[in-house]
Amino acid sequence: MSDTISSFFLTQVINYGAPLFALTLFLGAVGLPVGASLMVIAVGAFSQQGYFDWGTMAILGLLGAVIGDSLSFGMGFYGKNWVEKRFGASPTWNNAQVYFDKRAWVAIFLTRFLVTALAIPTNLIAGSSGYKFQRFMLYDVLGETTWIILYGGLGYAFGTQWESVYDFLGNFGGLVLGAVILGAGIWMAKNQFNKHKLEQVA
Amino acid sequence: MTKQRILTAGLIVLGFFIIVFFGMNTIRAFKHMRGRGPFDGKPPTANQTDVELIRDWMTIPYIGKMYEVPPEALFFSLGIEPDKQIAKKSLKELNNEYFPDQTDRVIVQIKDTIKAFQSQERPPEPIPPAAPAAPIPSTPKP
Repeated sequence: MSDTISSFFLTQVINYGAPLFALTLFLGAVGLPVGASLMVIAVGAFSQQGYFDWGTMAILGLLGAVIGDSLSFGMGFYGKNWVEKRFGASPTWNNAQVYFDKRAWVAIFLTRFLVTALAIPTNLIAGSSGYKFQRFMLYDVLGETTWIILYGGLGYAFGTQWESVYDFLGNFGGLVLGAVILGAGIWMAKNQFNKHKLEQVA
Repeated sequence: MTKQRILTAGLIVLGFFIIVFFGMNTIRAFKHMRGRGPFDGKPPTANQTDVELIRDWMTIPYIGKMYEVPPEALFFSLGIEPDKQIAKKSLKELNNEYFPDQTDRVIVQIKDTIKAFQSQERPPEPIPPAAPAAPIPSTPKP
């Protein structure tokens, strides 16, 4: 399914260029499975082949991604009341919010290009936790710029062999996601162990 | 408390399996990528020669540019009259529209046409215009 969608968008990007590329990254940023990273690598390769101007593609692509991120931040922001009603009383949710506020910039920056699977949840959490929009934008633009330069640059460098880059980066992203999940599990286990220890002492 | 423990154990197990799965795939993909890119001393080529890199999402004008083959020749080989709308269709769409009962007919035909173009010998370089010959000095009659 996702492959079919990606193929459809690749054809349309070839036909309509930068505006379609921007639209694809916008849709990816609001959570549609369009294969945005694949598109950035492919467009880097197409630019190397002389099919597109890389500067125009990069600027419009960045614009599309940032507008999409702003929209998903907005969804979180306007869904705040619902989230607070639903989870506001939960200490776990409140702890998670405090933890997110402390390290939000790392989460926002890294989820733009390293753990892209967590980008949408991060936008929603940032919006619903009352995180400042200007600060969100700053780290978002930095992260998305890194994404476009890094992924697009690799596509450009590898040219016709860009599919092997996508294969590698896709799997590497999965590996990092696994490390994040494992890390979260270990962190929770450590907290539970400490709590249990304190209870025993008391 | 028990719920939290189950969640914690679940995260650790899930994380471990994801790391193993993607870790193995990352190593395989890295090995595959290493032999193909600029890091192996192979500069990227603007135009392709390997027809196996043709995909069904590509359009005829794009393939024509990449393989330096006139798109008209590719349309001609498919027996399709090109126009603006048809030029925007992917190989898959062309296949579905013109050869619905023949799987991959279009992509195979395009690959064969490009191979035929590639196997043609290039015509020899045109001879540069000859410089005017120097006049032969006339020898005095005895």
